Amino acid sequence: MLPQTDYVKASSVAHALDMLHQYGTGAAILAGGTDLIVDMRERRREPTMLVDISSVEELAEIDVGTGNIRIGAGVTVAGLAGSAIVQHQLPLVTEVTRHFADYLTRNRATIGGNLANASPGADLVPPLLALNASVVLATAQGERTVDLNDFLVGPRRTLLLWNELVRAIHIPTPVPRGQAYEKLGLRTGGAIAVVSCAVSMDQAGGECRRVRIGLGAVAPRAFRSSEAEQIMEGHMFSSDIAARAAEAAANSSQPISDVRGSAEYRHAMVRALVERALHAAYERSSEPQE
Amino acid sequence: MVPEQQQLHSIGQATWRRDGQAKVTGAEEYVSDITLPRMWHARVLRSPYAHARIVHVDTSYAEALGAVCLTHADIPKIRYNERIVSTPPHLYRDRYVLADKARHVGEAIAAVAAPTEAAAEQALRALRVEYEVLETITDPEVAMWDGTEPIYTNVQLGDQELSIEHNIAVQRTIELGDIEHGFANSAVILEREFATSRIYHAQMETKGVVCRPESDGGITVWPTAQSIHNVRQLLGEIYSLPLHKINVKRVPIGGTFGSSIQMNSVIPICVGLTLKSGKTIKLVTTREEDMYDHVRYPSRIRLKLGATKDGLLTAGHMHALSDIGAHNTQAFAFLSVLSGWWASLYKLPAMKFEGKAVYTNKTPSCAMQGFGNPQATFAVESLMDDLADALGIDPVEFRLRNYVGLGGTFWGQGPSVQSIVLSDGVPELLEKGMEKIGWPGRPVSGSQTGRYRRGIGMARGFHTSGAGAPKPGEVIDYSGAFIKVNEDGTVDVVHALMDHGGGTLDAIAKIVAEELGIPSDRIGISPADTLTTVYDVVTHATRGVYAGGGAAHKAARKVKAILLDYASRVLGIETNALVIEPDETLGQGVIYCPSFPERRITVGALAKLCQTNSWGSIAAVESLRQVNCPPAYVAYFVEVEVDTETGSVRTVRAVIGSDCGTVVNPDLAVGQLEGGLSKGLGYALVEDNSWEQESGRLLSKGFWVDGKTPAMSESPLLEDIDTFFADSYEPSGPFGAKGIGEAATNPCAAAYGNALYNALGIRFTELPITPERIVASMVAAESGATKAVLV
Repeated sequence: MLPQTDYVKASSVAHALDMLHQYGTGAAILAGGTDLIVDMRERRREPTMLVDISSVEELAEIDVGTGNIRIGAGVTVAGLAGSAIVQHQLPLVTEVTRHFADYLTRNRATIGGNLANASPGADLVPPLLALNASVVLATAQGERTVDLNDFLVGPRRTLLLWNELVRAIHIPTPVPRGQAYEKLGLRTGGAIAVVSCAVSMDQAGGECRRVRIGLGAVAPRAFRSSEAEQIMEGHMFSSDIAARAAEAAANSSQPISDVRGSAEYRHAMVRALVERALHAAYERSSEPQE
Repeated sequence: MVPEQQQLHSIGQATWRRDGQAKVTGAEEYVSDITLPRMWHARVLRSPYAHARIVHVDTSYAEALGAVCLTHADIPKIRYNERIVSTPPHLYRDRYVLADKARHVGEAIAAVAAPTEAAAEQALRALRVEYEVLETITDPEVAMWDGTEPIYTNVQLGDQELSIEHNIAVQRTIELGDIEHGFANSAVILEREFATSRIYHAQMETKGVVCRPESDGGITVWPTAQSIHNVRQLLGEIYSLPLHKINVKRVPIGGTFGSSIQMNSVIPICVGLTLKSGKTIKLVTTREEDMYDHVRYPSRIRLKLGATKDGLLTAGHMHALSDIGAHNTQAFAFLSVLSGWWASLYKLPAMKFEGKAVYTNKTPSCAMQGFGNPQATFAVESLMDDLADALGIDPVEFRLRNYVGLGGTFWGQGPSVQSIVLSDGVPELLEKGMEKIGWPGRPVSGSQTGRYRRGIGMARGFHTSGAGAPKPGEVIDYSGAFIKVNEDGTVDVVHALMDHGGGTLDAIAKIVAEELGIPSDRIGISPADTLTTVYDVVTHATRGVYAGGGAAHKAARKVKAILLDYASRVLGIETNALVIEPDETLGQGVIYCPSFPERRITVGALAKLCQTNSWGSIAAVESLRQVNCPPAYVAYFVEVEVDTETGSVRTVRAVIGSDCGTVVNPDLAVGQLEGGLSKGLGYALVEDNSWEQESGRLLSKGFWVDGKTPAMSESPLLEDIDTFFADSYEPSGPFGAKGIGEAATNPCAAAYGNALYNALGIRFTELPITPERIVASMVAAESGATKAVLV
């Protein structure tokens, strides 16, 4: 059973921020609740006030801005999956939504919640890292924008302050055309990642450009393997170079052994998955512009 | 094969289940749906420690909140065994309603009841328990060491105290013939060690119970249960209540896979709270509690088999060790059946079984779909493939030479339950299975290279149909049914049998319809409780249709005789010249004489006449012990594809053949086979339960998040699952039927192991065969580490 708590349904971002300010560290933001409610049942978190932002419309928008695509923090995973903008420009994100938990969870879980929860295995993080996303954080006083890479500090730790709300995610455009995602779980659906990896890249005449490799579930937080990226960057694509980059990615990971897999297996799977994703991303980057 | 003169109108027809609509629409009421006036809610305090003395339980804060509390001090000091299927001398009694000592994480220590769920939760958190933490024992080998902390000093066996040494709950040795002689005369001897896991049943519904006090001092109980009568008897024994004051209701169950074969631990807790408080109380467990409540018996099996160069088995030696966890629910029976399934798979001129069941501080093991059979079959069928390989004989041919078939002796529930096989569809299952999967075209084992490798493997097996036998044994097995014909010619069947979701009660209705010559939609299944039904032991051992249906068939025969007797009076025709047949136009049964077809009366008109003439009711009650335990044979053929980079396994195709005797309802029978595949592939490839050594906690923490079962996406597409049935007739079964349910899953894991061997040339001996284990074994195989031991 859930611990008893107060509850307010926020009508706007300003209202939510006001509530956060008023209740301080006892308040928790409730969006989809797919992490928070589980934590509350397990008594890992016992907030005294739930601020429900699931009906705040200004958080549920996806639009194309100048130089970026802006995704409201309250957009659900199902919302991402159904968005034409995402399908067209961010196929990597569309792909990850198909591997994200199950239909019921996708209908509730939000992009902002997935980032703010900062699970090392959060499904959306490696793709968003590969897309160079930044996070817009709001307080009653104003907003700040931080790189997603900086936003994530450690397992379940972020830069988010007690009075701040994740408001939106910005993805800079133009987005690299070559995008690929690989996830390995204990089963194919409804499973937490044992290893996940996302790659985005451009190419010019076979030369890899803007290569970004995001890895999940193999370190205290999802991260980009700059070692692997540097091996690819500016070089002609080949199976050999992809294998070397995959090896570097594996060596840059620091997996642990847990109920989902041993460190050794995870290390080997980073290599296999990154190699596969690099090939797929490169092939897609070769596709003609629509 | 169905005798030709038998024209069946109900059996063998694909019909809708009578409870299907309620289940699909959500109208069905399970225990958690029950709400009674002035009902209180209960919660159970469970031990966070795997092994601890309970120094003190302070209920004062909870009581100050208005809750009723129950602790070990409140309950009768009666040790019981929660599964009273074995005869009393073979019951190991080691548990109390609430524990005297915490022996596993999740053990029930105390309980509270309050007017609302929230108040009960609050009261639960107000309980204070002082523990003295003891050494946690998670490894059964360590448990047996000298000096290891005893989990029990003594338990009760039957009526006698039994001291427990080295945490060994029970041992069993069974020896037939001279194995030394047998091995000495073998051309090939193979020996391997196999391990199977302690998986969670993963049934849809968790456990629940509602208990209402009655004004006469009795109680009415709505439990999650597989046997209402055994629940009643245990409650009577524990709380010294006369049985006629305990009414246990049959409530639809959301699946069990065996997890409610015993009286669930929350049932006597809830009853204790009701008796103490005088309140109607409801207690429903969470998924996390349930995952700490029961698992399948794991096994470590060392198996040695010998064979002549002609491919005939000579001798076998099996050592089995099972980590039973914190309670001995049925370890004696488990060791018995383990030996029995092994003895019944293949003819062994000499065999020796040495089994040990050991206590640890883990979730207690209990029967799960197949009860020892998936474990034994995984070991035997894996080694049979290796033996065939070593002898250079086709694995299917090798099995045909050695299997126990027609005329052989089958052990339906260990050594004390044996009968002669009267129906055998094995040759047909193997022949058709080979043809459907394309057996001759399968690759040479281990010959493939490349990232994706395919393999085809097979395994065969069975389950018993019931635990009946000509001689009384260690197992109780009989059923009873009460059938009455209503005044319009419809029929009520009153039967205590539980339907786990497979449609067993629907099959009962079809059997009654068939015997009475009445359309099956005129047969109703009555709600059942212990006050109005006669005894049925429990739905287990794949006995529902065969044994429960057998009893219904016997009662239906008697009802038919009464019907014909009255009809003879009305029609002026000798009784034995009359027949009953369903009339489609009239929609009911018609009694007539084939020689004088105009002499006819509908069953409805006759029943009405019996009432208006005050002749009496047309009804009968019968009890039946089946004196056979026919094997329901199954053969699996699967094709897998392994991604050698990640170790992921995809099921390309599965062919499952079943010999369940006469098929009662083809659609439901196919469903049983598909379900058996789903559970079997989970056991083979996915499901695992691991315990933290220090804390004795589940690594999955009792959550689905990491306690995985296969999803639909792991299952092959329906069009890639090919099921078929042998043309078979069991002379001792109702209309030739025997069982199917547990048989449907038993050989599955072995078939996967053999298919993986075919794909990779690697023998997997430990379940589940996870991607990680596959990758690790491939690395090891490349360094030449795994080779069969050839003597």
